Amino acid sequence: MSLYADEIIRFSSVLKMSYNLIAGRDELKRMKLREKKHLISVALPFSDLIFGFPNLVPVFPIRMHIFKISKYLSYLGSASSFFGWDNVSKFLGFIKNAGIEEISKIIDEIIDDVIETLNQKYNEMYDIGVERGISTDFCFGLKTLVGMHVTKMKNVSATMNYTIRCSAWNKYSESLKSIDSNVKDIWVDIPPRNIGNSMELLEDNIKSAIHELEKLSGHSYSDSALREHFKLTNQIRRDYKNIIYEIGASDFYPCNPATFSEILALLSISFQDYNSNAKRYAENIHQMINEMRERIRKGLGMDVSKYKKILVTPMFGGWEPKTHEIIYRLGGRALYADWDVLRLLDDIPITNKTDPIEAYADFIMNATENGIGCDNNVLTDSYMRVAKKLSADGLVFNQLFGCHSISNCYRLLKEKIRRNLEIPSMYYTFNRIGENVEQVSTRLGAFMEMVNG
Amino acid sequence: MDLNNLLMEFSLFLKLKKQEGCKVASFLAHDNIPEELLDAAGVFPLRLMFGGNDELMNMSHDYLPPSTCAFTQSMIGLFSLKPSQYQFLDLIDYFIVSNHCVSDICGSEIITKYFNIPRLNFYLPYTKNQNSLKYFKLELIDFKEQIEKIIDKEIADEDLLKSIKKYNNFKLKLLELNSLNLIGSKKLQIIQTAMLYGPNSIEMISEFIEKNKQNQQKSKHIKNVILTGCSIFLNDNIIELIEDAGGNVVFFDTWIGNQYYSQTFDNETLNSISNPYDLLVERFKRNRLSDHSIPNFLEYKVTRIEEINRIYKEREDQDLGVINHIIKFCDHFSMHSTYFKEKLQKKGIQVLNLERDYSRANRGQLSTRIEAFLEMIN
Repeated sequence: MSLYADEIIRFSSVLKMSYNLIAGRDELKRMKLREKKHLISVALPFSDLIFGFPNLVPVFPIRMHIFKISKYLSYLGSASSFFGWDNVSKFLGFIKNAGIEEISKIIDEIIDDVIETLNQKYNEMYDIGVERGISTDFCFGLKTLVGMHVTKMKNVSATMNYTIRCSAWNKYSESLKSIDSNVKDIWVDIPPRNIGNSMELLEDNIKSAIHELEKLSGHSYSDSALREHFKLTNQIRRDYKNIIYEIGASDFYPCNPATFSEILALLSISFQDYNSNAKRYAENIHQMINEMRERIRKGLGMDVSKYKKILVTPMFGGWEPKTHEIIYRLGGRALYADWDVLRLLDDIPITNKTDPIEAYADFIMNATENGIGCDNNVLTDSYMRVAKKLSADGLVFNQLFGCHSISNCYRLLKEKIRRNLEIPSMYYTFNRIGENVEQVSTRLGAFMEMVNG
Repeated sequence: MDLNNLLMEFSLFLKLKKQEGCKVASFLAHDNIPEELLDAAGVFPLRLMFGGNDELMNMSHDYLPPSTCAFTQSMIGLFSLKPSQYQFLDLIDYFIVSNHCVSDICGSEIITKYFNIPRLNFYLPYTKNQNSLKYFKLELIDFKEQIEKIIDKEIADEDLLKSIKKYNNFKLKLLELNSLNLIGSKKLQIIQTAMLYGPNSIEMISEFIEKNKQNQQKSKHIKNVILTGCSIFLNDNIIELIEDAGGNVVFFDTWIGNQYYSQTFDNETLNSISNPYDLLVERFKRNRLSDHSIPNFLEYKVTRIEEINRIYKEREDQDLGVINHIIKFCDHFSMHSTYFKEKLQKKGIQVLNLERDYSRANRGQLSTRIEAFLEMIN
């Protein structure tokens, strides 16, 4: 029986988000070919500016792929267009409750297929990236991104690039031009520090990027469109944080901890492009937190008070997806909160800024100075902040092979955790999905023994 | 001079400097550090440009995962192990944390934190446009203020201008050395020594040039190559492997090499820009081949190599081979290596992407690869 299926089908929002993630190709194709919209490749949660234009569509490039999903998921997608996802979800829940074994098994397969197919696709992209020549010495995330662009860059009109402290990331962004020189590269150069008038410079750099987007779009930039989008995404960010902190840190979950981690992983991936439709994504994530609250209110779900809270991080550049399942079986619950560690879940401060560009510059600079930025001391403080806010019982550091940026801070983080939080921490190395599950399992086993006392 | 003697003499030199009241500021960054500002303040800029070995790399694993640039690993290993000939590292008063690459950030932070060396910050913008030049100037001013705090006095513009001219002359002298037709290892040894000592070595370079002007030689039996990518650091045997295989590096298109000493000003520029900070900004602007920069680094690099090859071909009637030296886990050169090779090979220029770390075990394999490449290029 699937560990996740029983639970996930109770959340129509999760079904919708999963569907939009792995069955989004047709929709993107329609946008590009029929609606004549421009697809713009994004990675990391840097898609916001693109939403300021009606005919520009940000896309995390793996979504342009055909996934080997179960035909049943396609049927569900079709059914949802007639009956709505809520009814589909209720119907699936009814079937599971009724215990109709054959159909129940199909549902299990559908849900497991979603997860499995996504992981397979990531590994496939990894292989394509390496075949195209990216050195195996780079992290999983960059290798898969190269693979995604090698296969699908022809469909996009531009790539949206932000400079960050990771030199591999910056060079990867430049290298996309070598994959397809016809695709425009749009840049936002983020000053590494907030000194002198660097905020003004950042605002100006954002304006330049907007100007490039205007040229591509043919539409003029509008303050109000961007402001509205920021309001919407602030709501997304708040809901996302509520899921992490209000639900994640609580003692009663609306589902089992492995399913909850699975949902957090889904959010981590999909947050990068808001599934190309911020309004829909906002509705979905809002519905998700409501569904969770509703189930908790009704006492549906699971008492997780005895399950230790384990912050597993960083995972956005690639991690072993079996981690949360293993932790659950060992009596813990894995929590993923990377985007908040990197301060990318902070509000874009539009309520106290009249100019949305100024507000966005503030947001980006805050992330640079206090999260993803240039200083390991600050970065490790941010890990500490999140672990503390979650009242985590332990921290598992995913030392991503080939990550020369964030993985390098583990020693400092470990010292701070031991000194200030007095909780155990451990690391494991990760290179490719499924490659090292035994070792991960053994190490987590020893670690959880320690956490459980 | 062998390495041990060189380091011993350098150690004495640095001790004397300290006795004169000079402070020492060290850095890992390969480019764009305004050493003139340090010099104008009476601070000696010590660039870390030492090659590694297995032992040094292993020592760094207490601080960093092994999948970190082998050079950074080795430098952390140096601070951790402090081999006897590197005792001069104890004379460092400040360490400059910069963002040439992320290994520079992480490695420098580790050195300052765990080896208790006070930190100075100097960060760079990533792109090259009007705003990034303005940002670079902000960093220069901030850096100046940090240094002024150390020395407890202001750095006068005239002193900075004097230092800029001093470094300019030093680099011009190195360019002169570069134009000599000498075997690569001989040239490299002088370049490395000179860059370690800075303008203090200008007489030594002049003497070397005078002595060797008459000894220039061309050999038809040697296969000439450009070395690009990562630098060859002191105590690294890769140049010997190239020469043992019958090759010769005629052009060091690396940071320890042309990338450093080609960053000069002509007299017209020196006389037309009166603000010394604007001169440093101007140099940053012109430094298109800095591997730190995006988004056109690869394009400029390929064009540059083509240009060097074209000039050489006009003179010698044959193409140069290109050895793209990649120190393992170097983000900047590794990421582009496949495209770099493809683009140049399309233009008929043969490229060897030579990736390696500092372990002794791979010496044989490197030799084989170099030999095979050199056989192929003619």
